[in-house]
Amino acid sequence: MDHPLPWLAPTLVLLAVFQLYPMVEAVLMSFTNESLVSPDTEFVGIEQYARLATDPQFWEMLRVTAIYAFSSVVLHVLLGLVLALAIDYGVRRGLRGHLTTRVSVLLAWIVPGIIIGLVWKVMLVESQFGAINYLLGLVGVGPVPFRSDPTLALISTIVAGTWRGTAFSMIMIYGGLQRVPQRLYEAARVDGAGRWNRFRHVTLPQLKSVLFVTIVLVTIYALNTFDLIFALTGGGPGRSTQVLALFMYQEAFQDNALGRGASIAVVMLVANLALTAVYLYAFDVSEEI
Amino acid sequence: MTNNEPQSDGGTPVETDTIRQEQPTSRLRRLAETITAPATVDAAVYVLYAVAVVFFVFPALWVVSASLRPEGELFSYPFRLLPSEISLTAYQQVIDAGVATWLVNSTLVTILGVGGILLVSVPAAYAFSRFEFRGRRGLLGIVLLFQMISPVIIIVPLYTVMSTLGLLRTRAGLVLLYVGIQTPFSIWLLKGYFDTVPMELDYAARIDGCNRLQTLRYVLLRPVAPGIAVVGIFNTVLTWSEFVLAFTVLRSESRLHTISIGVYKFQGQYGNDWRAIAAASVIGMLPLVLVFLGLQRYFVKGLVEGSLKG
Repeated sequence: MDHPLPWLAPTLVLLAVFQLYPMVEAVLMSFTNESLVSPDTEFVGIEQYARLATDPQFWEMLRVTAIYAFSSVVLHVLLGLVLALAIDYGVRRGLRGHLTTRVSVLLAWIVPGIIIGLVWKVMLVESQFGAINYLLGLVGVGPVPFRSDPTLALISTIVAGTWRGTAFSMIMIYGGLQRVPQRLYEAARVDGAGRWNRFRHVTLPQLKSVLFVTIVLVTIYALNTFDLIFALTGGGPGRSTQVLALFMYQEAFQDNALGRGASIAVVMLVANLALTAVYLYAFDVSEEI
Repeated sequence: MTNNEPQSDGGTPVETDTIRQEQPTSRLRRLAETITAPATVDAAVYVLYAVAVVFFVFPALWVVSASLRPEGELFSYPFRLLPSEISLTAYQQVIDAGVATWLVNSTLVTILGVGGILLVSVPAAYAFSRFEFRGRRGLLGIVLLFQMISPVIIIVPLYTVMSTLGLLRTRAGLVLLYVGIQTPFSIWLLKGYFDTVPMELDYAARIDGCNRLQTLRYVLLRPVAPGIAVVGIFNTVLTWSEFVLAFTVLRSESRLHTISIGVYKFQGQYGNDWRAIAAASVIGMLPLVLVFLGLQRYFVKGLVEGSLKG
């Protein structure tokens, strides 16, 4: 037991079987025409990628995925930051309601993704009987086709995603705020810094690393969102909310084209790795390890 | 808060005094002072709390309200925020569809999965924290890298791996898969907690004749308990909520379906019966909500105390 191997062996075996091998296999598979229905698998070179590159729908889905991921990151992190600051402020000033707020936000986060999709489906029913449409009706708007208009459908998925995801950013940033040394604020006060300047020159720089990790994790999370959109819009109407994860799943398991699905997976893998590389480069984690 | 104020004097009298000596009071400055005065900020924060609570709680409450309606009330005038009378018919529909089986399956998979994750990740985190060996940093880097890669991406080859190992349509297969997928993040989190425990404890235990396993069991487990709580709660939420892996591994084996799959299939069958879909959603979220309401204190405390670094 004085050697690290027995302690790490289960982890290494599991990682090899369920993470490393599948990742290598995804790349290999993407160069074949492997299918769930036909036993013959042939090497087809870059055919799958060529097919993707010349498919205008693929570029459209890439655009939808990028819009979804980018809006999610901006909304989750901004809302998370504002809420974390407000809760931190409330705790320090002894305001009431900070605990209720924190618990409310966290509750949305623990609802399973599929069910979040359904909850918002029920909220966004497109007649005057839907809750949101009723409220809009009171001020003379609507009924709004939240899920059948392409643009509104994408916005609806982003809002539902923000409902779920804000808690993660909030809790990460709140944790970061607790680790800002109090003496820095005291020093800033002594120097005559106002509230805004204390935020700008003390809080923000101290939160830099937390914010960066949060942004990258949220980006990756949003980039691979599946369950929520699967339940809320199923990718529709048309392909207006068809993110890459959904497209890949359909190609692989509904059209039985594993090779084609794998090539989309590799595109997603490259996007994830590229973002991780940016993360490793811009934020030096070596000191953390 | 006041983040978007262009310039401010801050709230305390000490600061304003020093600044006033140099600059004449202008109307704008007085306005800025009012805006950043503690009372104004307090009021703004209260408004924010209220908006946040409504935004995050209303959808869940609306679904509860929708699920308790008598037949047809959701689609009749006048619109009601609350049911005119409580009807449990929709819940009967969900129960008839087999929700008990889904709940039992989800509970089993979650308990076994989280147990497995802790069993694997605690010793690994210990090793990364306490052993010096060649390639330690590299290996930890790789573990960190896996955390960055969503299981959705490798779902296609995972399907063939599970098929080869004969693990498709089995509960054991799904549990193993969860342990494999969720271990990296758990190790990374737990290592942070181990790192905060001073090595002196290990040395003292060694002198008292403990081997490494006994040191972990009797000396280190207590100080890293907040970390274990965080990892346990986090993985419980993830495992209970997980959909795409379960959907892919369990396929059409309906007696093994978890709550997410069950509810998804249910809404596929019931199409536009919003009341039934609402009832299924309520049953799907209730268990975790109850567990989490009890445990969120430990979750937040553990996260803040520990070193969810960077």
